[in-house]
Amino acid sequence: MSTTALDRRTLLQRLAQFAALLFVGGGSAVRAKEPSQLDESSLPQLPPPQPDEDVLIRMMRDLQRALKKPVHERRWVMVIDLRKCVGCHACTIACIAENKLPPGVVYRPVIEEEIGEYPHVTRRFLPRPCLQCDHPPCVPVCPVHATWKRPDGIVVIDYEACIGCRYCITACPYEARSFDCGEHYSDGTPRRAEYDQSPSPEYGRQWERKGTRSPIGNARKCHFCLHRIEKGMLPQCVTSCIGRATFFGDANDPDSLVSELIAKPNVMRLKEELGTEPRVYYLV
Amino acid sequence: MASSEQRMRVHPYYGILALLALVGLVAIGVRLIEGMRVTALSSPVAWGMWVAFYIYFSGLSTGSFLLSTLIYVFGMHQYEKVGRMALLSALFALVAAMILVWIDLGHPWRFWKVFTRWNYTSVLAWEMLVYLLYTVILVIGLWALMRCDLAHLALTVSGWRGKLYRFLTFGFRCPESEAAYRRCHAQSMRVVRILGIIGIPILIMGGTGSIFAVVAAKPYWYTGLLPIIFLVSGLASSAALMTFLYAFFGRKDEDHLAITRGMANLMVLFLCIEVVLLASEYLVGLYGRIPEHIRVYHAILFGPFPYVFWVGQLLMGTLIPIALATLPRTRNNIFWLGLGGLSAMIGIVAVRLNLVVPAYVVPALEGLEHAINQPRWAYAYFPSFWEWASSLGTIALVVLLFSLAFQFLPMFHEFPQRFQAASESR
Repeated sequence: MSTTALDRRTLLQRLAQFAALLFVGGGSAVRAKEPSQLDESSLPQLPPPQPDEDVLIRMMRDLQRALKKPVHERRWVMVIDLRKCVGCHACTIACIAENKLPPGVVYRPVIEEEIGEYPHVTRRFLPRPCLQCDHPPCVPVCPVHATWKRPDGIVVIDYEACIGCRYCITACPYEARSFDCGEHYSDGTPRRAEYDQSPSPEYGRQWERKGTRSPIGNARKCHFCLHRIEKGMLPQCVTSCIGRATFFGDANDPDSLVSELIAKPNVMRLKEELGTEPRVYYLV
Repeated sequence: MASSEQRMRVHPYYGILALLALVGLVAIGVRLIEGMRVTALSSPVAWGMWVAFYIYFSGLSTGSFLLSTLIYVFGMHQYEKVGRMALLSALFALVAAMILVWIDLGHPWRFWKVFTRWNYTSVLAWEMLVYLLYTVILVIGLWALMRCDLAHLALTVSGWRGKLYRFLTFGFRCPESEAAYRRCHAQSMRVVRILGIIGIPILIMGGTGSIFAVVAAKPYWYTGLLPIIFLVSGLASSAALMTFLYAFFGRKDEDHLAITRGMANLMVLFLCIEVVLLASEYLVGLYGRIPEHIRVYHAILFGPFPYVFWVGQLLMGTLIPIALATLPRTRNNIFWLGLGGLSAMIGIVAVRLNLVVPAYVVPALEGLEHAINQPRWAYAYFPSFWEWASSLGTIALVVLLFSLAFQFLPMFHEFPQRFQAASESR
C-alpha cells in the first residue's frame, strides 16, 4: 500500500513538472521573439540637418535616434493631421503593396465622411491604421498568447502560434484586425499574378502565401511596418503620404516631431471612452 | 426491450442519416483542404454559422447535463427515465459542438496549442479547459449510470453486441443477487451525484455566453445578462430535446404521458424565462438609443433576414412550443408535445444565429463599410454552400451516432423489471 502511495506521489510530481515545463516553454517561446541587436551601419545615410528640411527627413532622424535606445525606452506613436489629409488613399494602397495584403485584408483604410447637405457639403477623411492601444482589448482574449504588446508599444501577432479563432478580430473596437482567408486578387483569372505570389516581409520574415500556410488562416493587422522601422525606415503609409499628413516617431523623445505635435491641444483619439489609450493621435 | 423486427425497420432512417453524414464529412474535407475561403465569412463578420451551431450544441450539452443533475442531484426522481437520455444527448451534443468549433479555426491542426500555450486571460482558453474536464465528467458519469445494466447485458447477450457490452463494462462486474445489486446500484448513483455536483459550477462557467459578454467592442453582447441567457436558452433547448425524444422514443408505459408532459412543462418554464430575459435585453437596448446598439436590433427585426427572428425565434422557438404544451387540446397528447419539442429545438437555432451574426453587421466606425469595397470586407453574411453542408452533415453524423448509442446502450434502468419478473415467476 505504502509503495503505491509513493508511486502515485512520484507520478503526480512528474505530471506537475511536465505541466510546468509546458507552460514555461510556451512563455519563453513568446519572449524569445524580441527584436535583435541594431546594426548601426545598416541604417540609411541621412544628409546633415537643415533648418527647413522635409518632415520625412526629420522623422527619419528621430527614428534613428530612437533605435539607438533600448527597445523598452522607445514609444512609437503615429500622428495623423486630418486637416492635411485629402483622401487620396495612397497610404491604403502603399500598405497593401508593402505587406502584400490579399483581398479582405486591409490594415489602413481611409474612412470618408460627408458633412452637411448638398450644396453645402464638406468632406472629411479619417485614415485608420491599428491604433496600437496601450490597453489593447485584442490581446487578453487570445487563447494561445499569439498576440501581445511589445515593450515599444506595437501590438504584434505570432503567425505560427495563431490558431485563427478570430476572437481578437471580434474584440477590437476599431475593427483594425482582419482575417486572411486565403484569397488572391488574381483568383478567377488564367494566371496567378506576380504581385499575388511575392512573399510578405512582415516581422522580418518572408511569408509566402501558399495553400493553407500562415499567414493564410491567421488574423492580421497593422504593425507600424515593424520590419521597416527596425531597418531605420518610416512606415510605408508615412513615406507615401502625398500631403505629409501622417507622422511617426518616438513619443519618449522630447525632441521628436511627434512629441511636438501631440503636445498641442487640437489632438484627439478614437473612442477615448473605452479606455483603450490608443497610440494614434489625430490633429483636428 | 423492443423486438428485433421493430429494430430492423428503422434502416432507411440510418441510410439517410449516413448519406447526409457522408456529405458532411466531404464538406469538412473540402474545408480542411481549401481553407477558410470556402466560407462566406468576411473580415468584419468574423463568426458565422459554425459558431452559431457551436454555441447551440454547447448550450444543448450544458442544458442536458444540468437537467440530469435536477434528477440525480436535486432528487426529481420522477424523471429518472429521462436521465440517461439527457446525459447521452449531452455527450453527443458536445461532440457536435467540438467538430463545428474545430473546423471554424483558421488553423484547425493547431488546436492543441490552446493547451500548451494556454492564456489565462482568455475566456476562450478557459472554455476549452472546461470542455476537457466536462468531457471526463460526462463520460465517467454516463458509464457509472449504465455500468450495472452493461454488466448484466455482458453476461446475457451473445454475438457482437455481447462483445460490445463486455468491452464497455471495462471489466466491471455487478452482483446478480438482488440485495447486492441494490448496494452496487446505490454506489453508482453516488458517483453520478458527486460528478453532477462537481459538474454544475464547471458548466455554469462553461456556459459559453461569457465569451461574447466580455467583448466591450460589441454593445449588443456586452451585458451581464448574456451568460444567463445562454444558460437558460441551453436548458430550454435540452428540455425541448427531452420532450421530443421521450415523446417518440421513450418507454411506452403508464408514465409515458406524465414524463413527456413534465419535460414539456420544464421547457415552457425555461422558454418563458428566456423570453423575459431577451425582452429585457431588447427593450433596454432599443430605449438606450446608442446608435451602434440600436442598429443591431434593427438588423434583427427588420434587416435582410427578418424571418430568423419572427418565424424562427418567435414563432417556432417560443409561441408554438408554449401553445402546444399548454393548450387543453394538445397538452395531453404525446404526439403534439413531441412536435412542440422539435419546434422549440429548431427555433432555438434561430436564437443562436441571432445572438452571433447581427453583432457584426454594424461597422465599428461610421463609414468603414464604404472605406473598403471588397466582398471579403462585407458587413453582411449568408452561409456558403460548404458551411451549410458541413453544418448539416455534422448534425446528421452526430444524430446517427446518437441513434446507434440510443438503440444499443441500456437507456432505461432494466433491473427493477428483471427482479420483479424473477420474483413473480418464483
